[in-house]
Amino acid sequence: MFKKILIANRGEIAVRVERACQEMGIRTVAVYSEADRHALHVRCADEAYLIGPPPATESYLVIDKIIDAAKRSGAEAIHPGYGFLAENPLFADRCEREKIKLIGPSAHSMRTMGSKTLARKTVQAAGVPVVPGTIEPIVTEEEVLRISKQIGFPVMLKATAGGGGKGLRLVKAEEDLRSSLRMAKSEAKSAFSDDSVYIEKYIENPRHVEIQILGDRHGNYVHLCERECSIQRRHQKVIEESPSVIVTPEIRAAMGKVAIEAARAVRYEGAGTCEFLMDRDRNYFFLEMNTRLQVEHPVTEMVTGVDIVKEQIRIAAGEKLSLRQEEVKQTGHAIECRVYAEDPDNNFMPCPGLITSLRTPGGPGVRDDSGVFEGFEIPIYYDPIISKLVVWGKDRQEAVARMKRALHEYVVTGVKTSIPFHIRVMNNRHFLDGNFDTNFIENVFFREERERELPHFEVAVIAAAIQLFLDERKRAISQRGPGTGEPVSMWKYAGRPGMPKIL
Amino acid sequence: MNYVATIGNREVKITVEEVGVARYMVRGDEKEYLVDAHQVQGSVWSILYGTNSFEVDVQRKGDDYEVLIGGDCHKFTLMNEQLKALSRAGGKAAAGKALVISPMPGKVVKLLVNEGEEVQSDQGVIVVEAMKMENELKSAVAGKVKEIFVKEGEIVESGTKLLLVE
Repeated sequence: MFKKILIANRGEIAVRVERACQEMGIRTVAVYSEADRHALHVRCADEAYLIGPPPATESYLVIDKIIDAAKRSGAEAIHPGYGFLAENPLFADRCEREKIKLIGPSAHSMRTMGSKTLARKTVQAAGVPVVPGTIEPIVTEEEVLRISKQIGFPVMLKATAGGGGKGLRLVKAEEDLRSSLRMAKSEAKSAFSDDSVYIEKYIENPRHVEIQILGDRHGNYVHLCERECSIQRRHQKVIEESPSVIVTPEIRAAMGKVAIEAARAVRYEGAGTCEFLMDRDRNYFFLEMNTRLQVEHPVTEMVTGVDIVKEQIRIAAGEKLSLRQEEVKQTGHAIECRVYAEDPDNNFMPCPGLITSLRTPGGPGVRDDSGVFEGFEIPIYYDPIISKLVVWGKDRQEAVARMKRALHEYVVTGVKTSIPFHIRVMNNRHFLDGNFDTNFIENVFFREERERELPHFEVAVIAAAIQLFLDERKRAISQRGPGTGEPVSMWKYAGRPGMPKIL
Repeated sequence: MNYVATIGNREVKITVEEVGVARYMVRGDEKEYLVDAHQVQGSVWSILYGTNSFEVDVQRKGDDYEVLIGGDCHKFTLMNEQLKALSRAGGKAAAGKALVISPMPGKVVKLLVNEGEEVQSDQGVIVVEAMKMENELKSAVAGKVKEIFVKEGEIVESGTKLLLVE
């Protein structure tokens, strides 16, 4: 087993990996940019190395700096987390050359699955169903137009190197193609330094269901059942659960089997996820394979009892899988809400800033995978994720009730967060019925929200009025100078010219 | 003290009177509320009224309030009654003029218009990137781009004036 692991990431996922290492008795090495000196992942690590200025392109994405920190620290392995270098085959190549074990699949697996077009070819050959679209990345605007017309609008433009909703654009009609292509390419360029895109037929109102798999270098594979990830905004998952209400035991077994075939086709080693789109008739199509730990891995951990990060580390150290397929049991129900620093009442606008106070939820069946603390300033340079709130319940009904309860306990001040949005979703009747698809938030949820009555408006106004009353008094006292005794009645100021302004 | 809350196009008069330590009599909409209010954590208040307990997050930007209770966001304006009367008398309508302001800290990625250019209302005028997402900001009014205050590549704060359309 490794004695020391470097975590080439930041935020909640770096902390998550450090926790696994610490429980396994492995020393942890953090890397951090100048913006992250105070970050939780630095505080929780055994060692920490500064790797450059705040922009990720000058720190967390610079392979030389990560390798240098690994060498200086004597780390035998690197855990890349998700995002940043996690699916970069050049990084995997480099680790191999430097004889540092990358905790993840081989560069070959990454390269095959990372090029979405090559992935399609490969899994198709292994008998996995795929969505209609292009196999090759497309270069010119004319070509994009021609192929889009050929497969028919609506189409999806996708960054070849993409993930996490970046460099992804839905194009409903021909006239939107040009501007969408520009945005997709520009986002892809800045996020992945690669602006090539490909096109897929857009399956209307699909559900997003994915299968978690584990594979070792001895040729053993298991799947850890599905995650339902259809609650998305801007094509990015925000709520995930396991099991999915629409997946039957038969479908689960069949999807698990094809996911393992996809993994076997690239001799996959470590933890990976096959994402599928599922249409109304429960036909499923391979979307892509994520060759890394997923953000939403905790929901699987909660229902299977498998610590996926520890499995990753053991597999990387050359051990065999710790369980066989027949030992995988999906018990109860788990839900995850991603808590972002963003304003759900203003089009999910990012809201970086100082967390002035924090109260995290607790109690039975609650897990909060956080990367922040009270007094932490969320930098503008990275993903605005604050934490992942995960709950487990004996069934979906209990899990939803528990999530609602935990969300009400969660208080973050100083920055706006998506917590209120999650509470509203937990109260939505379609969500409660399990009746939703990937367009739910945009098409159904917001429309219903606009028409909903707010039951406590008077309490809101009362609280604001009391605060304003006290603000005005405070200001009046400070303008009179210190030591002037009793607060003065505001009535004295009313209508008298020449008196100091009170607002 | 007297206040006016504006909720949509409805105005409600509210009076607040301190009647004890952290206890207030609030009157409004022909009702009376005896409220026990403590600011317990950052912008969060613990409000007890009757036998009910509420956690209320009061966020204020000038006269605009956003108040969170559970998952619900309540938006309204609240002003001192006298100041509201004053501002009514002195305020001039600035029709057809609109500042585009950055709603978040971030980086100006691209200016989509030049000074002097005609724009439509709702037309994208500038792209600001924060946390790896590009956000296209739109002009609220139709008119001419009078002035651009920022350059591409510039880091801006929340509330920074980006450009003026007239």
